[in-house]
Amino acid sequence: MDLLDRVATRDEVALKLLYDQTASRLYGLALRILGNKEWAEDVLQESFLGIWRSAGTYRDSLSPPMAWMGMLVRSRALDFLRRRKAERLHLNTPIEDVDALVQDKDTQGPMQLVEASEQAAALHQCLQRLEPPQRQVVSLAYLRDLSHTELASSLKLPLGTVKTWVRRSLEQLRKCMARHV
Amino acid sequence: MNLTRNPELLDRLAASYSLGTLHGGARRRFEQMAREYPQVRAAALLWQGRWSAFSEVQAPVQPDPVVWTRIANLLQAEGSSARLARQREADTSKSPAGALAWWRGLALAGGLATVATISVGLWSHQELRENTQQKVSVLQNQLQMAQADLQAAPQIQYVAVLADGKADASMLVTFDPQHQQLVLQRVSGFKEAENKSLQLWALPHQGAPRSLGVMGDGKLEQLTAQETDVKAIPALAISLEPKGGVPSSTGPTGPVLFKGALIRRDL
Repeated sequence: MDLLDRVATRDEVALKLLYDQTASRLYGLALRILGNKEWAEDVLQESFLGIWRSAGTYRDSLSPPMAWMGMLVRSRALDFLRRRKAERLHLNTPIEDVDALVQDKDTQGPMQLVEASEQAAALHQCLQRLEPPQRQVVSLAYLRDLSHTELASSLKLPLGTVKTWVRRSLEQLRKCMARHV
Repeated sequence: MNLTRNPELLDRLAASYSLGTLHGGARRRFEQMAREYPQVRAAALLWQGRWSAFSEVQAPVQPDPVVWTRIANLLQAEGSSARLARQREADTSKSPAGALAWWRGLALAGGLATVATISVGLWSHQELRENTQQKVSVLQNQLQMAQADLQAAPQIQYVAVLADGKADASMLVTFDPQHQQLVLQRVSGFKEAENKSLQLWALPHQGAPRSLGVMGDGKLEQLTAQETDVKAIPALAISLEPKGGVPSSTGPTGPVLFKGALIRRDL
C-alpha cells in the first residue's frame, strides 16, 4: 500500500481511499479502547487529520502501514482518556458495553487479516488459544494501558484473579508468539 | 543478576515490560538493565513490535459516514486558510508598512556594522594572512598527494553511523563505490541470538525499505552493493530478523535496532 506515500504528497484522493480501506478497522480499535461511540468518532477524525499532516514521517517508523496507523489511533485514544481523567470526567463506561458494540469479535475470519502484518496474524492466532475472558484481560491491559488494579476495577474482578490471568495468559502468548515471529 | 545470561527470564520480563504489566521495582530494575545492555533494549523492542499488533487485530466496526464529512470539511478549511496566509504574505511584501521598513532599516544597519567589524579584523591581521596563504598552499600540495594515494586505496565515499534509540553508536557502515564494497563494522557489544540475523536496509525518500544484505556474526562484514543501491538514499537501518534474513520485498519484520543518516563524502 503506497497510499500513505501519496497522502504525504498532499493527495486528498489518496486520503479518501485510505480512509475507505482502513476506517472500520481503526474505528473498531478506537471503540475498543474508549468504549464510547462519540469519543471513538472524535478520535478517528483527529487521527485521520494526524495521518494527513504526518504521513511524511511514516517511512521513518519502518512499520507496516496498518501498524503505524494503529499506533497513532491508540496513542490519540489514550491521550483522550487521560484528558478526560484530568478533567475529572470519570469514564464509567462498563466494558460489557464495548463488547455489545463490537460484535462477532471472536469470529473474525482470516479474510479480515489479509492486509494485516505477519505479526498481527500470529498474535491473532495465539489469542485464539486463550479463554475469552483471559484474552480480554491482556488485550485491555495493552490497549488501555491499565494496571492490575485498574483492570480489576473496570472488569469487576478480584485483584488476585486479574494478576493470575495476566501472568498465565502472558506466559501462554509469549511462548506461542515466539514460535511464530 | 545479569539478565543477559538468562535469555528465558529476559524474554519473560521484556514481554511483560512491553505489554505494560511490569510494575514498581521490577519495572525500574528492567529499565536500569536496558540502559546498560543493548541486548535488553533489543528484547524490549522486539516485544513492543509484537504487542503493537494488538492494534491490528481488533474487530472492524463501520463508523458513521458523518466522520468522513467532518474530516473533508476540516481539510478544506485547512487548505483555504493556508492559501489565505500565502496571499496575505504576498500582499504585505508588495506594500511594506512603515513599521516593517523601519525594522528592515535596522537590520541593514546591523549588517553594515558587522561588515565593518570584520574589515577591521582583517586589516589588523594582514601579516597573519600572508602567513596563512603559505600554509594553505602547503596543505593543498599535501591534499593532492593524499588524493593520489587514495586512487589506490579504498574510496570510501559513503559513511553511516547507525545508532540505537539511546544514540549509542553501534554500527559503522562505509561504502566504496569503486570496489562496490559495503563494509559493516560492529562498534558496540551487541550480539544477536543464535537464531537471529541482522539485516541492513536502505530507506529511500519514497517507497519501501530495500534490503542491502544480511550480516554474518563477525565483527567486520563485507557486502557487495552497486552505487545505485545507495545513491540518494538518505538513511540506513538494521533490523533483527529470523536467521538468514527476509526477502527484500517483505520489508523488515523484526524491530529496527539501529538507524542513521547516510552521508556522502565529497573529497
